[in-house]
Amino acid sequence: MIVHAPVAFSAMKPFHLLSFLPGPLAVALVAALLPAGAVRGEEAAGLVLIPAGVHEPVLRGQDEPRQVAVAPFLLEARPVTNAEFLAFVRDQPKWRRSRVAPLFADAGYLAHWAGDLELGPKAPAEAPVVRVSWFAARAYAAAKGRRLPTTAEWERAAAAGFRGERGADEPEYRRVALGWLAQPSPDVLPAVGSRRASVHGVHDLLDLVWEWVDDFNTTMTTGESRGDTGLERTLFCGAGAAGAQDLTNYPAFMRAGMRSALRARYVVPNLGFRCALSP
Amino acid sequence: MKTHLVALSLLAAGALLAAPEIPAPCCRPAAPAAGPCCAPETKPAPAPCCVELKAERPLTERSLYQHDAVWTSDAGRPVKLASLRGEPVIVAMFFASCEYACPVLVHDLQRARALLAPEVRAKARVVLVTFDTRRDTPEALRAFRTRFELDSMWVLLRGTETAVQDLAMLLGVKYKLDARGQYAHSNLLTVLNAEGEIVHQHAGLMGDVSEVARKVAALVPVE
Repeated sequence: MIVHAPVAFSAMKPFHLLSFLPGPLAVALVAALLPAGAVRGEEAAGLVLIPAGVHEPVLRGQDEPRQVAVAPFLLEARPVTNAEFLAFVRDQPKWRRSRVAPLFADAGYLAHWAGDLELGPKAPAEAPVVRVSWFAARAYAAAKGRRLPTTAEWERAAAAGFRGERGADEPEYRRVALGWLAQPSPDVLPAVGSRRASVHGVHDLLDLVWEWVDDFNTTMTTGESRGDTGLERTLFCGAGAAGAQDLTNYPAFMRAGMRSALRARYVVPNLGFRCALSP
Repeated sequence: MKTHLVALSLLAAGALLAAPEIPAPCCRPAAPAAGPCCAPETKPAPAPCCVELKAERPLTERSLYQHDAVWTSDAGRPVKLASLRGEPVIVAMFFASCEYACPVLVHDLQRARALLAPEVRAKARVVLVTFDTRRDTPEALRAFRTRFELDSMWVLLRGTETAVQDLAMLLGVKYKLDARGQYAHSNLLTVLNAEGEIVHQHAGLMGDVSEVARKVAALVPVE
């Protein structure tokens, strides 16, 4: 895991008094003192503190624990927009549509933009950027001194409800999460931040676009959905035999299925991303 | 951190130029005649041809050798993947303490190599890159080489977590460190051509590797 120490430090600036504490401890203390989602210093940078929690993988090997501890981290409250990604490709020409190496992004990369440096009607400035590869998403995050969230971090944030930590217990959360899966994505996506925020203050996790995570390639299902044939035991070593653990969390299954089907150069019309930062 | 990396890359680049561990075949002094890749006709060839190649011909758009991380071999030397340019390569990812799949994976690779004509076998390298950035030190990789009797055509590499993740992403290899300290991973053999482009992938263990051998053989020009 890359830790961008200077940036992490600057994210901590509002809490100079706490800087003598180890980072995670300071953040935990801050989290305890402030209402969730109201960490002022990060808010300016579009980041929200997600307090320490757990991730319960829907797919896991026989010997894997039911819960994975997730340390406190900072997550962008909204997915990255077309306007923000445009600024990035202005700055880094090798990620422009006409220049990107096919090794790092399939044909179709930013295909809905009007041009290399022109968004056009299908890509409103405030809509989430989509049709970006994992490589491009990660390069964007790195340019910002951030990183992509891990699967555990992303799922831990998305498992929180509108009112409490366990979204699965809230009928409204279940309705929203399942409702989005039942609808096709519109050709022109709505603006980021347009969806109701989680209890931590994170928008659009359930019902805007799919999102890249840093370690999407850790999701292994029985028989790759990419067309490989043969028995799972021959495809994967050891604990690759991930079995379903919680059949009630359908959206999380869908996300796991989505991740297992991806490759890092793929671009998808409703797959975007947001960045994270270790405190 | 960053300065360290830069220093390391510079150091590594220097080391690569000074003592290339895996010289492109056209650079070997014993080469009977310059291959077409060296194209010495236009110039009096003042520099070794591999240096010229690197300087003059950019990597292709689909070349995996754009991945320019510096790896460490089991001999403890810095290696860039681009130093493999010039001949076909079979790449696989593994970890040395793997109990089940990796010995089989190595056996599959040995079976594929056994199917190659000797002149092809003498050119096509096998590159094994470990997932295990903690335990697979050069010493651990050397022990692995000894245990499986891997000759000099086998290149064993370790790298940073980022380099491993990048390579896995480029190859489409999935992997995950499990609770027992073992890596669950795809068993994938990837054939790269002389430019480092993926020409074939073979998934699974104990399968028919003859296609892998055929693809490799097709990349070596008949002399």
